[in-house]
Amino acid sequence: MDYDAIVVGGGHAGIEAALALSRIGYKTLLITQNLDAIGRLSCNPAIGGLSKGNIVREVDALGGEMAHLIDHSMIQYRILNRRRGPAVQAPRAQADKFTYARLAKETLESEHNLSIFMDTVVDLLLDLSGKRLIGVITQRRHTISAKVVVLTTGTFMEGRIFIGEYDAPNGRLEEPAAIGLGTNLRKKGFPVGRLKTGTPARVRKSTLDFDKMEIQDGEELMMPFSFDYDSISRPMVPCYITWTNEKTHAIIQENIHRSPLYGGKITGTGPRYCPSIEDKVVRFPDRDRHQIFVEPEGIETEEMYLNGISSSLPEDVQWDFVHSIAGLEHAQIMRPAYAVEYDFIDPQALFPSLESKLVENLFIAGQTNGTSGYEEAACQGLMAGINAAQKLKGEQPLVLSRNEAYTGVLIDDLVTMGTKEPYRMFTSRAEYRLNLRHDSCDQRLTEKGYRVGLQSEDGLSRLQHKLEKMETVKDLLRQRKVADKSAIQALKMPEVTMDSLQESIPELAGFEEPIRYQVELDVKYEGYINRQERQINRFEKLESFHISQDFDYDTLDGLSTEGKEKLKLVRPISVGQASRISGVRNSDIALLIVHLDREGRRER
Amino acid sequence: MREYVTDDIIYALATPWAQSALAVIRVSGEGCKALLATRFSRPKALEDAGNATLIHGYLQDEAGKKIDEVIAAVYTEGHGYTLEEALEFSCHGSLAVIKEILALFSRLGMRSAEGGEFTFRAFLHGRLDLTQAEAVQELVVSQSERSRALALGRLEGSLKDRISSLKQQLMLVMAAVEVQLDYAEDELDEFVFPHAQLVDLTEQLHHLSETYQVGKLYKSGARIVLAGSTNAGKSSLFNLLLKQERSIVSPVKGTTRDYIEADLSIEGIPIRLYDTAGLRESSDSIESEGIKRTERLIGQADLVVFLVDSTMMGHVPDEDERTLVVYNKSDLAKPPKGKLSISAQSGEGVDRLLHEISSRLTSGFSVSPDELLIIESERQYQLLNASEEALSRALVLVDEDIPLDITAVELSEAMDNLGQLTGEVTPSDILETIFSGFCVGK
Repeated sequence: MDYDAIVVGGGHAGIEAALALSRIGYKTLLITQNLDAIGRLSCNPAIGGLSKGNIVREVDALGGEMAHLIDHSMIQYRILNRRRGPAVQAPRAQADKFTYARLAKETLESEHNLSIFMDTVVDLLLDLSGKRLIGVITQRRHTISAKVVVLTTGTFMEGRIFIGEYDAPNGRLEEPAAIGLGTNLRKKGFPVGRLKTGTPARVRKSTLDFDKMEIQDGEELMMPFSFDYDSISRPMVPCYITWTNEKTHAIIQENIHRSPLYGGKITGTGPRYCPSIEDKVVRFPDRDRHQIFVEPEGIETEEMYLNGISSSLPEDVQWDFVHSIAGLEHAQIMRPAYAVEYDFIDPQALFPSLESKLVENLFIAGQTNGTSGYEEAACQGLMAGINAAQKLKGEQPLVLSRNEAYTGVLIDDLVTMGTKEPYRMFTSRAEYRLNLRHDSCDQRLTEKGYRVGLQSEDGLSRLQHKLEKMETVKDLLRQRKVADKSAIQALKMPEVTMDSLQESIPELAGFEEPIRYQVELDVKYEGYINRQERQINRFEKLESFHISQDFDYDTLDGLSTEGKEKLKLVRPISVGQASRISGVRNSDIALLIVHLDREGRRER
Repeated sequence: MREYVTDDIIYALATPWAQSALAVIRVSGEGCKALLATRFSRPKALEDAGNATLIHGYLQDEAGKKIDEVIAAVYTEGHGYTLEEALEFSCHGSLAVIKEILALFSRLGMRSAEGGEFTFRAFLHGRLDLTQAEAVQELVVSQSERSRALALGRLEGSLKDRISSLKQQLMLVMAAVEVQLDYAEDELDEFVFPHAQLVDLTEQLHHLSETYQVGKLYKSGARIVLAGSTNAGKSSLFNLLLKQERSIVSPVKGTTRDYIEADLSIEGIPIRLYDTAGLRESSDSIESEGIKRTERLIGQADLVVFLVDSTMMGHVPDEDERTLVVYNKSDLAKPPKGKLSISAQSGEGVDRLLHEISSRLTSGFSVSPDELLIIESERQYQLLNASEEALSRALVLVDEDIPLDITAVELSEAMDNLGQLTGEVTPSDILETIFSGFCVGK
């Protein structure tokens, strides 16, 4: 064996997978088509956002890298949805995309267990059984062997970009796609489909008229995503806001037939939650304007990202409609907007460990699994890396539950239900949103990261320290009286805050803001969290009812035909997971329980 | 999916809900023998009983008072219909006795079984041959379908439509809220909580769940007490009503001899009729305990029919919603004009009385008894009610300016409850509604 592990791809999933494997101690090789494109922010120059910010912090708590990268490349920091409630607020940061990518590459290069090699993987090497992976074959005819492989191809597998009538075999603009791999996977029986996504134009800062736009500043205090340190210091730059208008919409309407999406050239499904501007104009004809965020791509670049108007219309139409927008009248388009269509592998063909059901030792993560977003990719890359390492160790995979991490929700959704459009995380996908707050990710995950060998002793003792401090604050609140009740009781009332308590309990000022904040939320939300806890107990009951992977559904008479088909396809690891598969009936679940119960009894 | 919990003890009346010589009440679930032994006259005999044995004894209430003489058929785990530890009590078939036993079981913390639940457990434990699975599938297809089939009869289609419509409305409210939670504030238009829609929805839910009053009346019936002075003709009326009603089974004596009771049906409403012997006798000849009991009976009555002897008049109580004053002996003396009068002797006016009773019983309802959609099952009522309560809490939270993520918890609880009636709503359904209704996404 040349390596313990190979990671194919140097994007956000590949980075986490490669770092996890090498840091846990395995000799790892990362193969990428282009060394200069490692960690590239291909679309918007930002990390985090609602539920995504939580994912970044989950990755960090488990021992992943993404939080460090953004903490040291951010140029604006915001907490979103402050007024909507703590369970749904999340940090988001604008990144200097060059710094981000450079840091990513430097981090990979600093791992002594990790080799990096520039080539394109075009096929998988299987053993004689055809069911076990033993290596990869590259474009330049290298055959490299390894015990496990993590595939993170992003939009590059048979990627094709579209700008109006123009199209080219690219994964990003002017970056050649990985041709051949998708075709070879199809031949091997992988369920491969097509998805589409898009990105807006980048325009030159010095040609914009910011007087006609609204300015959007970040928070005055930047807070780190990572739990490893308490503060960061980074330069801050603003974003700007402008709007499309009726003229913009008219230009788009007149040229809609020239869109490859409406002309039928693109067959892949795009994301409904992040529609192109032509989609918005067609689907919401009553709206007279759509918002655009003009975001800097970095400190030392003039490129600005036009968030909100991704498009695949021809470049002449793009010029016209961009110039119809206030503040962009004289904008110089430096890179056009484009759509990209790419191969993805139906994630129902994966186990919750992200290992392939078809080929042993192959793990798949990121956009290849039909997701969209850097954060979604990173958390899968991390979990695939961790589980590939668990496999090498001969240990059970780490599967996060839906009630402990968005990462758990994401992977469970993917492997249980598959996806028909690029899958993005939303807080509403989680049944127990109140439990998935970003500020408490460390409490849920740090120890798990430690147990798989990724999180450090330091991380663990930092968490311990934090918990002790929180307990001290709670004790203080229990002991002190405010009016006629204990401070902890008082804090449950909507009008009482930690800040207002500080007047009568000055000692509170001695604790860090994150500690006070978390205690405040714990206390205020306790009733609701307890209520959810009861639901969770019921939920966990079915989750803990395990189904063996070699369970033979054919021998189980009475299953509905569709139910049997779906169960055989998904091969759920628990009755809970089985119950979430669409097409599986309650009666099928009942039969399963009967059968498993009997088997269990026989064993006893 | 939470319906599949099988680790509690369930009970149900296995024979029809009607007066009969004997009735069978079935109990199933681990630990039921030990639990019921605490209310059995021969606890040890019951607890130690082996499979397929019969134990004779009395069921007793908490105070040790005997409720009824019963025979308990004992099944140990692995036997019997459900293959769980189970008991079948054969008791006397008086509705009063059955009711009292069921109430006792409920107080013991056992759960009243859903329709088909015994069969479901039998199925779960493999009691039913898998070739029978097809038939059983029908029973367990879904909670909603099961409960629908239970009690709705010919109205089920329209009730389902109604609940689906409520669910759809709630989904729109939830989508409006969830989009605020899933997208940053600066990406969206100014948010105004859909207060009016939610208030309207809560009222609709309230209206629907209130129809349970009607459903319950027609299902569980009402208590009517005949009262009035001696010789007012209560007993004649009692007997007359019983004679007129073909559905009556023989009247049974009350256990305390203070009153006589019988079951009949008035315009479709099941009625338990009490002839209060206690008030008939002079007060000194009756123990004060007996009078108390009669008074309690009157207190619990849904309607008191106070009979006045038209030939003597005497004390006439004020009419109120629970008291119906009826003048008897209209064949002998002319009752006051415009007042309800009958002759228990000739039967004159009894039809009018029956009608008056029925309209009195349905008059207090906030919904019309002619309402087309009526909730008849306790479960449906509870789910609708829980849904309404969650929405009311959500409204309070909104008024108090509590963050939206908490309000969302209440909304989804409301949806959960509705979902149990007509099928689950998944996060994907909500997202679907968001994407089709809101222009979102940078």
